[in-house]
Amino acid sequence: MMHIALVGNPNTGKTSLFNQLTGTYEYVGNWSGVTVEKKVGVLRSKKAKMIDLPGVYSLHPLSRDERVVTQFLLTESFDKILNIVDASQLERNLLLTVQLLEFGKPLAIALNMVDVAERRGIFIDQTKLAEALRVPVVPVIARTGKGCDEVERTLLEKVAEQTELFTLFYGEAMERAIERFIASWGTEEQFPVRWLAIQFYEGNSYVRDYVAEKWPEATWRSLYEQAEKEVQHAEQMSLAQFIYEKRRSFVKEVIQQVVQRTEIGQVTLTDRIDAVVTNKYIGIPLFLLAMYILFQLTFDWLGAPLSDLLDAFFAGPLTDSVTALLEAIGASEFIRALVVDGVIAGVGGVLVFVPQIFILFFFISFLEDSGYMARVALVMDRLMEAVGLNGKAFIPLIIGFGCNVPGVMAARTIEQPRERLVTTLLTPLMSCSARLPVYALFVGAFFAAHQAIVVLSLYVLGISLALILAKLFSLTILKEETSVFVVELPPYRMPQWQALWRSTWDKGKGFVKKAGTFIFGGSVAIWLLSYVGPHGVNVNMDDSFLAMIGGILAPLLAPLGFGTWQAGAALLTGFLAKEVVVSTMNIIYHVPDVESLQGLMATHFTPLSAFSFMVFVLLYVPCLATVATIYKETGSRKWTMFSIGYALVLAYIVSFVIYQVGGLFGF
Amino acid sequence: MVAMTQLRVGERAKIVDLSQVSDLVKRRLLDMGVTEGAEICLKCTMPLGGPFMIENCGQCVGIRRHEAMNIQVKPL
Repeated sequence: MMHIALVGNPNTGKTSLFNQLTGTYEYVGNWSGVTVEKKVGVLRSKKAKMIDLPGVYSLHPLSRDERVVTQFLLTESFDKILNIVDASQLERNLLLTVQLLEFGKPLAIALNMVDVAERRGIFIDQTKLAEALRVPVVPVIARTGKGCDEVERTLLEKVAEQTELFTLFYGEAMERAIERFIASWGTEEQFPVRWLAIQFYEGNSYVRDYVAEKWPEATWRSLYEQAEKEVQHAEQMSLAQFIYEKRRSFVKEVIQQVVQRTEIGQVTLTDRIDAVVTNKYIGIPLFLLAMYILFQLTFDWLGAPLSDLLDAFFAGPLTDSVTALLEAIGASEFIRALVVDGVIAGVGGVLVFVPQIFILFFFISFLEDSGYMARVALVMDRLMEAVGLNGKAFIPLIIGFGCNVPGVMAARTIEQPRERLVTTLLTPLMSCSARLPVYALFVGAFFAAHQAIVVLSLYVLGISLALILAKLFSLTILKEETSVFVVELPPYRMPQWQALWRSTWDKGKGFVKKAGTFIFGGSVAIWLLSYVGPHGVNVNMDDSFLAMIGGILAPLLAPLGFGTWQAGAALLTGFLAKEVVVSTMNIIYHVPDVESLQGLMATHFTPLSAFSFMVFVLLYVPCLATVATIYKETGSRKWTMFSIGYALVLAYIVSFVIYQVGGLFGF
Repeated sequence: MVAMTQLRVGERAKIVDLSQVSDLVKRRLLDMGVTEGAEICLKCTMPLGGPFMIENCGQCVGIRRHEAMNIQVKPL
């Protein structure tokens, strides 16, 4: 099957176009760096595969997600390129197009956001653009899908297999250097060696590594230095700058031919929103207010009533009808106990929180899709700079509120390796949606009057600790690296309902799926452990294997206020996924619904020890999936172990302090 | 010719010299079309020495104050 690579600048609607063309849906956002890994989909006509790559400004990578593109071009086999171009930012988009044309693969351009450009008074003559670059150009509106059929037809039919190689003349000195490189290279490549030479001279770090694998350092260094000297002499410019300028003057010429501008003096909506949102004085308070509203909606105003309805359904009609059904088919007492006390209590106890989690994901999707996320990076940069990171590190942290796994992955867009590492290590401190069921259970039992404030305090605690640790880490492991911050602020746009729902579902379905697999299996295992003991089956739960295992931890946890085997067992199982803590508690305390569990817990916890327990759950270890992602992202066993180790120590210390100091004040 | 930090919010200027800016930041600015000769407008600044937001051809970019201090511009 034919493979088509989708390449373009960040935030040009690449993923939207990918979704339209392939009929699948990937995660879409309005900030640079939504796609950090390549993704593959099949075209609607099933005639070709499409590969969605992270957005890049140039093939010369600065951050790790950008390396993915250069690596893809150099090492993977594919047939055609679809280059998506933002019509409202033609100049910088075409700078990338030139590099792609030099790469020599058959290419088509999808010209996106023509409507945005026209509103700004930029009119592009597509026929002339196609002539100037000698490739097909198709106008599209990726968000609505307009023009996508035409793109597909063009890709499959009009893009010739063999095109005459696009050659930009770089001036005599540079051309001599390119020829020297090609002559010494010798070997055949899947791509033009001329492209390799140009990228090498431009200082592309990935290409340099590629060249260095073949040549000894002395060879490539002398080639590079000779070129640098000759170009400097002839043009009074550094090599990289000269190559950039040459491309730019070509692009400017093209733009001169194809673009018509009319002055439109009107103030755009984005300008008006930014005047408020990024206002010097109210920018930060506004962000905090937005967060506060988000939490109120999730917990108090919308989420809680919906959860209660669901809980009533699980505890009442569902349990009753399942029990009746099992009786009717004559199931044994064991099976009945397993299904009702194990599966329904365990899985149902977690599913009750689906409404809250979906509401949270919905608002996070809204923030991403609207373009506000990039402003958050801007508004929070000063604070992040103070702790040695930059504003962009705030985006993974906010995404981490939904789920730590994509949060850790979003850290890839940070340019400096150490800043990226610290952000990766700290993202698990963000209170993800899976921890919500635990909080909801406890705040409902002990802090009914102040639910939102108590939960908010846990989120704030997570962020505060992350900032303090960032400062600590930046003084130790990341010293000697200066922090860098340049962020693109895209125009605002009203998210489309369909796209919002899709991305909410996309994020939330993982939670539902987990309930069906992990939590289902975990519930059965935990129930069995509680049902079986050293002295036989159907034992008193205090004599079960589960009590024995939890009992080992209990003395260690006593100084934190929850030294019971039940808490120990629940925390142990919580490593699988944090919401399993709730499943385990439901099974252990053997109750039909959340309400009666909360009543029962009042005898095992005090408000203070409940708070201490929630803090411990917030901090103690990243869940299994997050640990796996951290390992994948850092590629280091040492840092992965560190992420678990520091979290455990931190959780113990903070819970200890809260319980002991709180005790002194008589709580 | 003045440093970008001398501009008032809403003022337009032409970038004259980027040579004092750190390499990584310069590359990123180049990627976004902010080069010598480009016309920019200072959109807003964040408090307590926070970042600057500038606009260039309808594209907004956020940079830090100390980088802005190293960018020489000519007010228009």
